[in-house]
Amino acid sequence: MFDVIVRGGTVVDGTGAPGFAGDVAVKDGRIAAVGQISGEARTVVDARGRVVAPGFIDPHTHFDVQLLWDGAARPALEHGVTCVVPGNCSLSLAPLKADDRKAVVGMFQQIEEMPPEAFTTAFEWTWEDFAGYRAAIEKGLSINVAPLVGHSVIRLWVMGPASQERAAFPDEIAAMQALLRECLKAGAVGLSTSFVDLDAHGKPVPSRYAQFDELDALCAVLGEFGRMLQVVPEFYATDITIARIDQLAELSIRHGIPTTFSPLFDTLAVPDNAERAIARVEEQFARGARVWPQMQTRPIDISFSLLRPSLFFARLPRWVRILRQPLEQRVAALTDPDTRAKMLADLGPDGGEAMFGRLVARGGDACPPEYVGKTLSEIARLRGQPAGLALIKLSLENGLDVAFLSASQGHQSTDRIGPMLAHPLVHIGASDGGAHLASFSTYGDTGYLFSEFVRKAGAMSLEKAVAKITSETADIWGLKDRGRLAPGQCADIVVFDADAIDRGDELPAFDMPGDGMRYVRAARGVDTVLVNGEVAYAQGAYTASRSGVVCV
Amino acid sequence: MVLSRQRRFVTPGPEETIEELAARALPGQPLQAAVDSIKSWNLHVFAMRRPPGLMLGSDVIFVEPPVSNG
Ligand SMILES: [Zn+2]
Repeated sequence: MFDVIVRGGTVVDGTGAPGFAGDVAVKDGRIAAVGQISGEARTVVDARGRVVAPGFIDPHTHFDVQLLWDGAARPALEHGVTCVVPGNCSLSLAPLKADDRKAVVGMFQQIEEMPPEAFTTAFEWTWEDFAGYRAAIEKGLSINVAPLVGHSVIRLWVMGPASQERAAFPDEIAAMQALLRECLKAGAVGLSTSFVDLDAHGKPVPSRYAQFDELDALCAVLGEFGRMLQVVPEFYATDITIARIDQLAELSIRHGIPTTFSPLFDTLAVPDNAERAIARVEEQFARGARVWPQMQTRPIDISFSLLRPSLFFARLPRWVRILRQPLEQRVAALTDPDTRAKMLADLGPDGGEAMFGRLVARGGDACPPEYVGKTLSEIARLRGQPAGLALIKLSLENGLDVAFLSASQGHQSTDRIGPMLAHPLVHIGASDGGAHLASFSTYGDTGYLFSEFVRKAGAMSLEKAVAKITSETADIWGLKDRGRLAPGQCADIVVFDADAIDRGDELPAFDMPGDGMRYVRAARGVDTVLVNGEVAYAQGAYTASRSGVVCV
Repeated sequence: MVLSRQRRFVTPGPEETIEELAARALPGQPLQAAVDSIKSWNLHVFAMRRPPGLMLGSDVIFVEPPVSNG
């Protein structure tokens, strides 16, 4: 008697091999058999007309905090994702001393655009060390988690405020090594570091103060376990990205570790950016290094309102400063004629037409219906105001709660990106799941891979796309017994409709602690998701199953 | 496999000043000229950063202009 049989589907086993008609049987959380199966099971999942594949693995997320109150990392699980990697970009919630929590929450807020309420109202901080954090999330997991530990928090733990002032002394490096070793023993899948991020006060995060020898020493510890180093490079500058690839290659070869950097974007503004980076990656792999560039499937779409700071304004420091003020002061500043004149002057002589004209007013908020769906250029004309002024005034008239969408800011050319995603050395990932809550939906990139790059563009076969986000990911990260449908493998399984799987529309949701808003996309075409042999999602609903584990 | 030629860089030492770095990276050049060159090749540190010129231990500092790879 099996626990589960998934019957009558097309088995796409994650290896890239052609799909075949067959059943998948599960016993004790593992796959017991694949093929024509005659036995019986307590649960039978009807997969006729559907693809049966290994659960998808998302290697770049920031679900660190959400996992404390939502063990399914919604809506990631319903998209067929059965394993997430949180702790990217040098930030994790452990190891973290109680006194340092505020500073790290500020970094999550600044870098990942997550509201502070998410860290203060929905759970109790019961841990400081990594094992304690693991225990805190493991109580309620229905998705699997392979957590990274952040370099910035390791540095902060050992050096305190000096972590954002200076190079580490040899005894401090030794202490960081010991701490990292402890985290890896407690189930961390690797270390993350950042070369670009700033904290809540605009100061570089601790990891950026590290000399290369500090990173080298930490990678020596990764080498003891063969675990991953993830970095955020200066992705906006090709030469620097290539320098980072070379540094990662040195570390990879010297310590026998895999490394990955994310994101790598394609941008028409610098058309050879991704191409040059990938060419360098090819060279480094040829001499034995493992440096995996992570590329996301979705185009860069950014939404914002003046209610909260947004990375949309990153190139306008005065706007950033003003929008970071508390609501009352922000409204006062936007209303003050002098301040407003300076803000508008920042936009250039066209009053913001070039910068803001193509923005589209979104629905679902306080935007007057006559403007919904119109460009700011059209709205400006209707109101007889320059675009920048129209943006500010329309926002002020509606409590700042008017959202605008800036679509296709980059990484939007399917023809260019398809072949890159299909490249054997390009790692599909970089979703940033659980972060940038009010800027864009970080969910549904896997559905978009199938709808856009398999069905519409034919950039790769269905089997290849599945392999890219299952077995290849598991192998890159060293996730044992994951990513394939074969006897003995963990039974993480997704059943989906190959003709329908997609990401839904981007919609605001109000399901965060406090009054936090975030953009989400529901899944389309995903029928059933099993995690370690238990049905975690079926027919549009999450089950009560709590079968997720820390899977390192 | 031989690596193609890419732009050479160094990383700053602990407490290293721009003058010390320039002297180390471009030995034999007049100091001020070397400093000016380093600055002009590294706008990500010396122009775009707040405060400009704050060198961090993890920074990539180019010691030559962009190379043409044809
Ligand atoms: Zn990230």
